[in-house]
Amino acid sequence: MPVLNSVYRHREAGHLLTDLDAYREAGGFRALSSAVADMEPDDLLYVFHRSGLRGRGGAGFPMGRKASFLPKDSRLAKYVVCNADESEPGTFKDREIMEMNPFQLIEGITLAGYAIGAERGYIYIRGEYEHQARILDEAIRQARAAGYIGRGILRSQVDFDVTLYRGAGAYICGEETGLLESLEGKRGQPRLKPPFPAVAGLYSSPTLINNVETLSALPPIVERGADWYAALGPEKSPGTKIFSVSGHVQRPGNYEVILGETTLRELIELAGGVREGRRVKAVWVGGSSVPVLGEQHLDTPLDYESLNAVGTFLGSGGCIVMDDSGCIVRSTLRLATFYRHESCGKCSPCREGTTWMEKILQRIVDGEGRIEDIELLESLFGRISGKVLCALADGAVAPIKSALHMFRDDFVRAAEQGAPRPDPMLPATAAS
Amino acid sequence: MNAEQLRAYLEPIRGEYAEARSLILPALKYAQTEKGHLTREDLDAVAGATGFSRAYVESVASFYDRLYLRPVGTRVVSVCVTLSCMLRGADEVWEHLCDREGLDPHHGGTSEDGRVTIQEAQCLGYCDRAPCVQVDAEETSGPLTPEDAARLVDELREAPAPEHYWR
Amino acid sequence: MGDYAPVDLTVDNQVTFELNGRPVSAPPGTMLVDACFAHGVEVPVFCYEPRLGPPIGACRMCLVEVEGMRGLQTACSTPVQQDMVVRTDSVAAKDAQDGVLELLLANHPLDCPVCDKGGECPLQDRTYRFGPGRTRFIERKRHFPKPLELSTRIALDRERCIHCFRCVRFSQDVAQDGQLTMQERGAAQEITTFTGDPYEGRFTGNVIDLCPVGALTSIPYRFVARPWDIADTPTVCGVCPVGCNTEMSLREGRVMRVTGRANPNYAHEEGWLCDTGRWGYDSVDAPDRLVAPVVRDATGERTTDIEDAVLAAALVLRTEGRPVGILLGPSASVEEGAIALDLADAGALQGARVARLGIPGAALAGLRALPGAQLSDLDLADLVVVVGGDPGAQQPVAELRIRKARRFGAAVVTVGTRPHALEALDESVRTVPGALAEALAAVTSRIAEAARPVVLWDEADLAVEPEAAEALAAAVGGNPGALQLELGQDVNGAGLRALGIPAAGVLEALVAGELGALLTVHADPLEGPGGGVWDAALAEADIPVVAVATHAGRLTAGADVVLPALTHWEAEGTLVSMNGRAQRVRTGGRGPGEAAAGWELLVALAHRLGRPPAYRTAASAFRHASERHPGLGGITYDDMDAGGVPLPPAAGPVPGEGAPRAAAGEGLPLVVTRHVHGGPVAARSAALAATRWVGTLQLGAATAARLGLASGDGVRLTSPHGSATLPVQVEEGWPEEVAFAPLGAAGYPVEAVLPPDRGAVRVVLDRVAAGVAA
Repeated sequence: MPVLNSVYRHREAGHLLTDLDAYREAGGFRALSSAVADMEPDDLLYVFHRSGLRGRGGAGFPMGRKASFLPKDSRLAKYVVCNADESEPGTFKDREIMEMNPFQLIEGITLAGYAIGAERGYIYIRGEYEHQARILDEAIRQARAAGYIGRGILRSQVDFDVTLYRGAGAYICGEETGLLESLEGKRGQPRLKPPFPAVAGLYSSPTLINNVETLSALPPIVERGADWYAALGPEKSPGTKIFSVSGHVQRPGNYEVILGETTLRELIELAGGVREGRRVKAVWVGGSSVPVLGEQHLDTPLDYESLNAVGTFLGSGGCIVMDDSGCIVRSTLRLATFYRHESCGKCSPCREGTTWMEKILQRIVDGEGRIEDIELLESLFGRISGKVLCALADGAVAPIKSALHMFRDDFVRAAEQGAPRPDPMLPATAAS
Repeated sequence: MNAEQLRAYLEPIRGEYAEARSLILPALKYAQTEKGHLTREDLDAVAGATGFSRAYVESVASFYDRLYLRPVGTRVVSVCVTLSCMLRGADEVWEHLCDREGLDPHHGGTSEDGRVTIQEAQCLGYCDRAPCVQVDAEETSGPLTPEDAARLVDELREAPAPEHYWR
Repeated sequence: MGDYAPVDLTVDNQVTFELNGRPVSAPPGTMLVDACFAHGVEVPVFCYEPRLGPPIGACRMCLVEVEGMRGLQTACSTPVQQDMVVRTDSVAAKDAQDGVLELLLANHPLDCPVCDKGGECPLQDRTYRFGPGRTRFIERKRHFPKPLELSTRIALDRERCIHCFRCVRFSQDVAQDGQLTMQERGAAQEITTFTGDPYEGRFTGNVIDLCPVGALTSIPYRFVARPWDIADTPTVCGVCPVGCNTEMSLREGRVMRVTGRANPNYAHEEGWLCDTGRWGYDSVDAPDRLVAPVVRDATGERTTDIEDAVLAAALVLRTEGRPVGILLGPSASVEEGAIALDLADAGALQGARVARLGIPGAALAGLRALPGAQLSDLDLADLVVVVGGDPGAQQPVAELRIRKARRFGAAVVTVGTRPHALEALDESVRTVPGALAEALAAVTSRIAEAARPVVLWDEADLAVEPEAAEALAAAVGGNPGALQLELGQDVNGAGLRALGIPAAGVLEALVAGELGALLTVHADPLEGPGGGVWDAALAEADIPVVAVATHAGRLTAGADVVLPALTHWEAEGTLVSMNGRAQRVRTGGRGPGEAAAGWELLVALAHRLGRPPAYRTAASAFRHASERHPGLGGITYDDMDAGGVPLPPAAGPVPGEGAPRAAAGEGLPLVVTRHVHGGPVAARSAALAATRWVGTLQLGAATAARLGLASGDGVRLTSPHGSATLPVQVEEGWPEEVAFAPLGAAGYPVEAVLPPDRGAVRVVLDRVAAGVAA
C-alpha cells in the first residue's frame, strides 16, 4: 500500500481543523497569502492547469482548463461557485471536508476566485447538510474577521467574499446548471447548453463551478507547486482522490488514495473487505450513476482511464460494494427509484423514462415480470440516455443497463419468479 | 411568519446577490423555521418580502423535498433508503418505524399524536454510518438497528419541540 | 398556431447547409427547426414556440442528426451553420422521434374521442406522422381527478398534460402575470396557479391556443363542436383598435369560438389575444341583442320585418329642407362610413351632416403625420416611451409587445397620469392632468438620443393637451430613427378619419336646430361622453331618430325606427387599426333573427329613398370608397388579403374638427379610462362575467381622507356637463387630488359628466348617504 501524502490538511494532521488557529497551524492560508502577495491571476491559472487536477464532482473535467474558458475581457461580474450539493448515492467525501476542514475549502474557493477575477464565491450546500452548513457559516465568519476573505483580503487590493447558500432537497441541484437555477431562486431544472456556465452562468455572468474536493485541493497545489501534484499518480489522472466506501464492507468510510496506484480490490480491503465467507458481487465505484462492475474487475487500478477501460467511470468516488448475499435486481430497482424520484421533470424522456423503468423493475421484483420485460427495458435505454439535456438520465440508465448486461441470469430468473428480499448486513453495534 | 419579519431577515444578505430572486429560497427556509412547514400565509409573506408572485414562490417551494407545503410532525425523521443504507438494513428500520407508528409502509406519514413524521429519504450522504436516520436536517445518526431507531423516535417524542425548525 | 418562426429566405448573406441530402440556405442565426420548416421539412416540436422566448429544449421532440456533433441535437436550439450536414430522417433521428412520442404517450390518456382537442391536436397529428403504432406500456397511467377549472373559462386536464411548459412560460415571461406555474417535480409535476386561486388575467386564454394537447381547453367551447363540423375564417377582432388577427370558428353560420391567428400576421400582434377579444363573442347572444326591427309611429310601437322597417325609416328620413344628421359610432366600418358619405354627398340624403363619435384631433395632426410604427417595430426599439393612457386596459395586446420590447433589452419609460401595469416594468414618470408637457421634458432628450425609439401615445390624453402633443411631435420628428404609434380610443376611429369624417358637426347642428332627423350607425350618443348634453339637445330638437344598432341602448329605447344590425363577428367590412392598418373583417356567419349588416341596411335605405348606389356588395362598396377617398390609398379587398395594408399617413387634420375643450368647472380633475375588459362587449359576455371590470371612482388615500370618503362609500360626481354616482375605491399610492374612473361601466355613469368631445373636466365630489353597490 502506498504511503499517502494527503492533500487534505485534516487528514494529514489527524484531527479536526474547524478552528481557524488550528487550520493555520496545519499550514492553512499560506497558499492564499503567497498567491495574493506574489502571483498574478494568470500565474495561478497556470498552476491549476499544470497540476493536472481534474474535477472531483463526477465528470472529471480538467479544472485548469475549465477555469481558462472564462472570458478574460468580459465586463460582466464573474463568479466562482462551489458545488457542495453532495447527493450522489454512496458519496460522503465532501461532507467530511466541510465537517472537519472547512477553511481549506474557503481558501480554495478564494484562490479560484482570485485566479478568475471574481469578487464573490458561493458555496451551494445541500439542504440535508445543515450541520455542515453551520460549521461552514462559522468558518466563513472567522475567515472574514481575520481578513482572509472580504474587502481587500490580506491587506491587498483583492476583494473576494464567500456566501453560503443552502439547498432544500433536490439531487438535480448537483447538476451544475440545475444548481445555478436553484441559486438564482428558481426551480432547479438544468439549462439547455450552450451557453455553458463559463460564458453565461450565474446571473448570465461567466461562472466557474467546481466541487468541494476539487477546490479544497487548490491550497496544497499552490503551496507545494503544480509539479508536486502532477507527479502523484498517472500523467492523465494525477493527484489523490477520496473514495467513499460503503455497503457490504466492514469498515465503511472515506479513503484517500493516489490515483492509479491502488486497485479496486485494495480499496475494498482498506475498507475492511466483505464479510468472512462472502465474495464481492457488484461494485458501483463512482457513485450510483455509473455502470456497475463485477468481481472480475477488482484488480482495476483506480484512475479515470483504467476505469473507463473496463466500461465505467470514476465519477464521484462513491464506491458502493455489494457482496454475494445481495440481490442485484433489487439493488437496481432501488437505484431506479432514486432516479425517478430525482428526475426534475423537464425533459420528457427522463421524466417518463425513469418512471417507466422503475415500474418494469418493480413488476419483475414483485414476481409479476415477463421475460419480454428485459428486452423492453433494453429498448428503452437508448430512448432515454443521450436524449436529454443533462446527465441525470444517463446516470439513471447506466446502472440498470450494465446490471442487465453483467447479471442477465439474475434478471431472467427474477422475471420468471420474482426477486425475494435477502437479509441485509446489519450493523454490528448500536450507534452511540 | 409575516413579510416584515422576512424583510428583516433578508436585509443583511440582500447585497450578496445580484438578483432578488435568489432571496426566495433563503426566505422560504427561514419562513419554515417558525412552524416547521409553510402555510399559505408564509408563501404570501415570502412573495411580499421578495417581490415575486405567490404562485411563483409556491412553484419554487414545491420543487424541493425539504420544504413542506402541508403540516408535518413536530420532528421529521428521514430514513435513508438508498442503496448503501438498503444493503445495511434500511428497509428493516423503515418498516419497524412505520409499524410502530401505525403508518402505511409505502408512504410513511405523521404519527397520530402529531409528534413525528416518518419519511423516506434519498441518500443522505452518511453511507459510512448506514443505515442512517436524520432528524429534521440537523442530526444524522447511524448505524442503527430497527430498535435503535425506535428508541431515537421515543426520545424525540419526549423531548421539547425545537425553537426553530431547520429541515 | 404557428409552431415555427417565419424565415425570410430572400435576404443576402445566407448560410448554406445540407438538409436530408439537398443543399439549402437560411439567414445566419436561424434555428434549425425554423429553417427546416421553411424548406418544407417538418421537424416535430412541442415545447418550442418562438413567441415565448429562447428555446428551452425540454420536450426533446426535435432531435436531429448533425454530422460531426456527438449525439442528436435539438433542432429548436441549434442555429444553422455554414456547411453543416443535417439529417432529420435518418434511422437515429426517426428512432428518437418515435422514442420521445412513445414516452410522452406512456402516461397520456387515450381519450381522444372525448377530447376537445381531438382532430386538431399536435400530439395526435405527430403521433400519426412520427410516432409508434402501438403502446408497450402496460402499467397504470398517471391519474388525476379531471378536469379542474383553472378559471371560469379554462379547464385543466392534468392527465393529458405533457409538461411542455408553454403555458407556464406564457404566464411568466410573456404576460408576466406570475400566476400559472409548474409545481412539484419530475413525473409529479403539474400546471397550477397558487393553490386555490383562479387563473385570472387579461390574456389567460392564450394558453389554450398554446397547449399542444387537450390539457387546457376553453370552457365556453367545451364539447360545443368538433374540428370537422366547424369552418375557420381568418378575420380581425372588432373589440378595440389594436385589431388583432383572429381565427373565427363557425358552425352553421354562428360563431363558436375565436382563437389567435399567428400567420401571416405574426409580425403584428403575434397571434396573442386578450380575453375580451377571445371570449366576448357570446355578447352576440346577449339578452339585449336586437333581433327584430322596431317601428314607433303614430299607431304605437310595433316589431316588424326589415322591409317594413326600412320603409318606415325612409319616410322618417325624408325631411323637408332640413338636413339629416348621420352619426357613426366608434366601431362603424369603413364601408358604413363611406356609404354614409355617399348618401350625404350626392345620394338619397343629400346635404346630410356626417360625423363620428370620437375625439376631435386637431392637436394630433402633427403626431399622426410622422412615420408610424407597427407593433413589430417595438422588437427592435432601444427605447420605448408610453405617453399617457393605460395600454393594458385600452389596447391590451399592445401591452404584451411592450413587455417583449423590455425583454429584448429596450428601456421602457411611461409618462402619464394613470397608475398602470407597465409603470413597474422599468421607469415611470407620473404627472397630473394639464401638466403632461412639463413631464415630457424628462424624456424628449432621451428620444432624441436613442437610436430606434418608438413612442406610443394615447389619443385621448394628448388630444386635450395640445402643448404636449406638439412637444412630442417635435421630439419624434427630430430623430429620423424615431417612430410613433397611436394608442387609439376607438375601434375604427382611424378608418373613419381616413374618410375625412370629423368628430364634430352633428351635435352642433342639432343644438342649432338645423337638423330634420338623426340617423345613427352603431352609435348611441346617450351612452357616450356628454350623454346628458346629447339627451337635452335631442329633447329640445324633437326630431325623429333612426338607429342602426346591434344591441338595445338608451337611444334605441326611444328611436322612431330601430334597424337590428350585425356585429363584427357576423358582418363583413373593413376596420383600420389604431396604427393605420386596414384589415378585413370576414364572415360567413349570420346574425340572429332579422339582423342585417349595417352597410346593407344603409344600401337598402338608399334604394328605398329612390337613389340606389352603384354597389351591392361590401367589396364593391369598398372599391368605390377607395376610388373616392385618397385616405384609403386606393387599396382593394385583394390588397388587404389576410394581413392588412398600412394606409398612407394623414395629410393633415380632419377638416371640421378642432380640439377638445380645456378643463372646466371646479373640483378634482377627472381622468377616465376606456377599459376593454369593462366595456360593452365584456359587459354583455356571460363568459367574461367573472372578470368584468367594475366601475368605481378611484382616489388616492390622502384625497379620500381629506374628503372623508372610504372604499365602498357612494359619491356623486358633478361637472358642468352632468352628474353621476359611483362607489369609491381608495387606492394606496395613487396620485392625490385626481379622480379616476372607467368608461363603459354598467349604466355609463361617468360618461354623463364628460363633455361630448371628451375634453378635460373637473368634478366636485359629494358623499351620498347610502353606499352604492359596485
